[in-house]
Amino acid sequence: MSYYFISIGGTGSKVMESLTHLCIAGLLPGDERLFIAAIDPDVGNGNLERTSTALNNFAVFQNFSVGNDTPLFKNKISIVRPFPWNPTGHDKNLDDLIEFYHHSNTPVGKLYESLYTKKERDTTLNEGFRGHPSIGAAVLAKKFDDGSKLTAQIEKIIGEGESVKIFLAGSVFGGTGAAGLPTIARLLKNNLADYADRISIGGVLILPYFSFTPTEKLDELFARSENFLPNTKAALKYYSEKENLFDATYFVGDSVMTPVGEFSVGSANQRNEAHVVELYAALAAADFYSRPLHAPKIFKYICHHERDKFSWSDFPTSAENFVQFARFIFAYVHLIKPVLNDLAAGNAKAYKYPWFVDFLEDVDLNAPEVVNFNFYAEAFAAWLKQIETLSGREILLINPAMFESNPARLVDKKLFASLDGNKSNLTIHEIFYRLTEPFKFDSTVKGFGKFLRRLYDTCTT
Amino acid sequence: MTRTTRTIVKIFLIAAATILCTAAAYYLCSNVTGHALATASDNMNYSRWLEKFFDLTRATGLLNGLCALSWFIAARFFFKVDEAADAGKRIFWAALMAASLAISLGVPHFYAPILGIKLNGIIFGLFAAIFTGAGYWLLTIFATPLAFKYTPLGAGLLKRN
Repeated sequence: MSYYFISIGGTGSKVMESLTHLCIAGLLPGDERLFIAAIDPDVGNGNLERTSTALNNFAVFQNFSVGNDTPLFKNKISIVRPFPWNPTGHDKNLDDLIEFYHHSNTPVGKLYESLYTKKERDTTLNEGFRGHPSIGAAVLAKKFDDGSKLTAQIEKIIGEGESVKIFLAGSVFGGTGAAGLPTIARLLKNNLADYADRISIGGVLILPYFSFTPTEKLDELFARSENFLPNTKAALKYYSEKENLFDATYFVGDSVMTPVGEFSVGSANQRNEAHVVELYAALAAADFYSRPLHAPKIFKYICHHERDKFSWSDFPTSAENFVQFARFIFAYVHLIKPVLNDLAAGNAKAYKYPWFVDFLEDVDLNAPEVVNFNFYAEAFAAWLKQIETLSGREILLINPAMFESNPARLVDKKLFASLDGNKSNLTIHEIFYRLTEPFKFDSTVKGFGKFLRRLYDTCTT
Repeated sequence: MTRTTRTIVKIFLIAAATILCTAAAYYLCSNVTGHALATASDNMNYSRWLEKFFDLTRATGLLNGLCALSWFIAARFFFKVDEAADAGKRIFWAALMAASLAISLGVPHFYAPILGIKLNGIIFGLFAAIFTGAGYWLLTIFATPLAFKYTPLGAGLLKRN
């Protein structure tokens, strides 16, 4: 079995960010490989860039030898190239992509001219479909088979005898996601029709959960948050009336529209903070992957107990692995990383840190895997901080008063023992002590991976 | 082995090593130079000298054992490594070693005249080697809590995991 995750548009890429962290934390079922693909015409958008960084970090350090009997790094990730796949190319407008010059003055051309306004046809699509799914649907339907290598890759995997679970994530209220979810699902279903017994397609349809106010460029074509609800209504009508292409469909949204910072048409400036809705959407992917391949279609509601508060009991997952992973990351950034830096700079003595003498004296701490793990720890802390400090909501997963991000550090180490709100004896000192105690791993556990495995194991209550 | 068992075993090790060092110092010193020293003193015979020398050795050994035990207890129960900077504590370990040396040399120096026995340089040398060298330095290499296991000088030569 292999898992595929296809992020479509900016919201999809933010779900991908949450899924990446869940995957690294060991919250996906089994130990199947997760193939991650992204479809976004706005290749430079800040959200996608942030997710790509975490993904690329993990791609480098995922082969640490931590052993096979641990949730840590158990699901390996492969990035499907081109990443992201850009269906529009560079500096192209809708006329270019549809090859309108072949059809002008024909009946098809006239129909096309009646369906799209001049502005929709002339706007270059470097920053995505500007909240206009009608543009996106046309472009994706035209370009998917030629441009994306996805179908071919999935066929290859199925040809090797494997089954594949494909999960799509995107918004239904914007441009790229709303256009891409039904279009890509239909294209995949059609392209892989011969292997229907070996594939299952699920999708999370993200409903509105943020708003923004455009501040300039008012004459340009771009997404407007006042259109989110009408867009959503139209999309849901489509899904209720047309054939539902998904074997499992998840709807996630929020009744409170979180204001995002500055409005941006797209590109690097579109860098929105992580949101609990995206975490739910990533958990939907995990739920889909845990279902049997041909499970009957089901409809589930997930409610939370208090209107503006989220705690572990509101999530359809066990806190245990996530909390252990969070502890592991914060113990690393607080207790380990500064020591490694000081030792490398000659500002510390190794004898003070028995875990360094026991595990790391012969390890190259400048190896790309180690450097990428350091970067990843920062990315995880930044993501978690954003989730925890969501405006208008009280998120009680990991106590946000305990840590800071950028750089990641503990600000109140006394809170470490109760970082998920439950008291434990796992102080920083206890972690330090446990790291020095004797243990046994099999011979496949080695190098920096052995140390990380030991640190992860010490973080269990 | 659980952490509690390990703690109990190490405390017993410190107690046993202290007794062993005291016995070693007593028998070595009394056999090497004891007879000559006893007969060189007024109103003294060998058996009386031995009796008083045993008191001296026992006091020195006990105080030295307290040094090793203090290191263990402090490192096991009082030192908390909540920051990287809290680790190591070699200055504390070295201060206790200096205290051990002061005890190994100071107790015989001040206590022997009170007991009315004479000592010589060999006894001071043996006391320093046995009580400070073996009874503190070597002992703490093996009887240190794991979080500080490489703090005693030379402990790094015996990598343990």
